[in-house]
Amino acid sequence: MKIERTTLCCITSDSSCPVMQAEKALKGGATMIQLRRKSASGSELYEWSKSIQELCRAHNAIFIVNDRLDIALAANADGVHLGQEDLPADAAKKLLGKNKILGVSVSSVTEAEKAGRSGADYVGFGHIYPTASKQKSCRPVGPDSITEVVRALLLPVIAIGGITLDNVCEVINAGASGVAVISAVAEAPDPEKATSLLKQKMLSCLQ
Amino acid sequence: MVSNCKGFSSPEKQFPELVRRVTAHIPVIIQLREKHLNAKALYKLALTVKRHIHDKDSLLFINERFDIALASGADGVHFPEKSCPFGKALAVSPGMIAGKSTHSLKQALSAEADGAEYLIFGPVFETPLKKRYGPPMGLEKLDEICRHVSVPVYAIGGIVPRNSRQCIEHGAYGVAAMSVFHSSENLNRTLANFHAALEL
Repeated sequence: MKIERTTLCCITSDSSCPVMQAEKALKGGATMIQLRRKSASGSELYEWSKSIQELCRAHNAIFIVNDRLDIALAANADGVHLGQEDLPADAAKKLLGKNKILGVSVSSVTEAEKAGRSGADYVGFGHIYPTASKQKSCRPVGPDSITEVVRALLLPVIAIGGITLDNVCEVINAGASGVAVISAVAEAPDPEKATSLLKQKMLSCLQ
Repeated sequence: MVSNCKGFSSPEKQFPELVRRVTAHIPVIIQLREKHLNAKALYKLALTVKRHIHDKDSLLFINERFDIALASGADGVHFPEKSCPFGKALAVSPGMIAGKSTHSLKQALSAEADGAEYLIFGPVFETPLKKRYGPPMGLEKLDEICRHVSVPVYAIGGIVPRNSRQCIEHGAYGVAAMSVFHSSENLNRTLANFHAALEL
């Protein structure tokens, strides 16, 4: 599977059932779902992964598991997304193999280049704007830094952190291959509609 | 030897040192069970522990995360309750020895059927760490489990050198313990007592 330009990745939030969240996001046009729930047991993550993978296949979308490469392998997900505190990317890529997708969270050009050398298939770059979804100790990197990372890498760059309908065009125009959102979809009153609006906006700003 | 690094002030140094001391005396299976650690820290700890294993008969197992077990070159993976389904995990972790924690005959039989190569059963004796599994199940229950499965069964829960012989006499292949290794006032004597009790 390939990371398309205008990838819209919806990451599950901790607030409700991740399968329901994935279903709504996919109906709204998400092209990638990332299952992320740090507190869940291995058996829960496995069951959710099987269901979300099935939904993603039906919608021709990519399914990625956050952190848990074991679950990604057991559930035959399309890939895994690793943060800087997860299993090192090069070790993960060896286990994952060439045909699966490895995403790595980075917040600088240096980290992005290292991820590229380690076998990442895309980088999640951020956080671009201030965000309440995750506790962050550092400052937002801002949309201009996307261009720097895109120039330094041959890989797709997916921007993350505080991305909304109002700033998504700025991010896409800076060269990002796509965006990843948590709260903008998961916490919206109508997640399906929120996804759909975001998708339309992304497509419109490329024209 | 089940790990409990939370009790150490600098676990990345103290636990590998404990591994070195223990494996210099008796062969053990080291089970890294550190739920509070992120995957990067667990991976690094596994690599360090592996380097500190003194003898060639001791083995390193990682709890649940077979990806980390594979990446770090550990010998096996131990699946707790509520882990990723055993059979699915085994299918994608070639060469790993895999075992499972069980707390009843039913669980033990199903784990064996799923392909577990050994079982840990308990709590056999009283233990403050595992209160959530209810009262100790005792030696009779251990005996029953061991009679019904053909894979090795390790007894866990309140294990000390003086009761480990009883576990063997009731069918256990070995014993598993956490506290006795981590809080022993005289580790060498504890290990010598285990050595004698288990006829290692």
